[in-house]
Amino acid sequence: MQDTITSLINPADEKGQYLEGNRLDQLKKYFQTGNLRVNAANKIGSSAASIISQTVEKSLLYGDITLPGGNMYPTRRYAACLRDLTYFLRYATYAMLAADTSILDERVLNGLNDTYSSLGVPIEPIIQALQAMKEVVTQRVGTEAGQEMDVYLDHIINGLK
Amino acid sequence: MSIVAKVIAQSDMSDRFLSSAELTQLQDFFNKGGVRISAAQKLAANEQKIVDQGSKQFWSQCSNTPSNSGDSQKTALCQRDQGWYIRLVSYCVLAGNSKPLEDIGLDGMRDMYTSLQVPLANLKLAMRCLKSVAMGLLTSEEAALAGPYFDQLIRAF
Repeated sequence: MQDTITSLINPADEKGQYLEGNRLDQLKKYFQTGNLRVNAANKIGSSAASIISQTVEKSLLYGDITLPGGNMYPTRRYAACLRDLTYFLRYATYAMLAADTSILDERVLNGLNDTYSSLGVPIEPIIQALQAMKEVVTQRVGTEAGQEMDVYLDHIINGLK
Repeated sequence: MSIVAKVIAQSDMSDRFLSSAELTQLQDFFNKGGVRISAAQKLAANEQKIVDQGSKQFWSQCSNTPSNSGDSQKTALCQRDQGWYIRLVSYCVLAGNSKPLEDIGLDGMRDMYTSLQVPLANLKLAMRCLKSVAMGLLTSEEAALAGPYFDQLIRAF
């Protein structure tokens, strides 16, 4: 995976240059947002299960999807949905810390649509859940960190579309 | 790879969010962000000076070496490489991790210099001299960040 630091160093090295000017400014900005990112990751990691419960409650729980014939029925499929939403939350948190989307492309989105379509999992409810997750996460971490998490949750949403 | 990528990969391997120890590690890294930037800027601005003064120190202790053979092409090449190592140390300071040095400048390094017939023991001394000049230009906080990467470089030779 790439992270924002590596993605600034690598092209500089290709040219045999120090990190200077614009690249160094970008890194400075990243360093300045470091504490925000670490605090958000801490809050999200320590309350992941409750974030997921609330996300499901907000988006899927009261819909037909949890009833017999729905894609979150029976319990096995409900649990699989929780597992996948937890993956999304965890990888979005990694990407937010790294300030880079490449880990999402490599570890989450690569082949995901094919997997879901071969399993008959509908995409639309997942997107609804991810939208709800954005709201729940923002409530937990505050607006500024929430906006940062939105970038990476939106990246997953756009990758699923 | 940076320290950020490293702890993420570590967590990902065991399917978990970052541990509190890892989060603390990242917090320490970010808290020194300003010092990292200033250390890297000083190394960049003083590369030539570090190489020039380092070479003088080095030749005073080891006069029989390719860079001091009177062949200006060889001298230029050796000093160019020394400058590169300073640059790699600056990357490490910014990344909080020795991977840039290892991946770009240490992997295969011994084979290369052996093939170029540059004695590794001489290079080790040259790197020591670079470190000593560089440390003198940095504040103690900056030096504390850059020093370990110079040490790793010296050990590698």
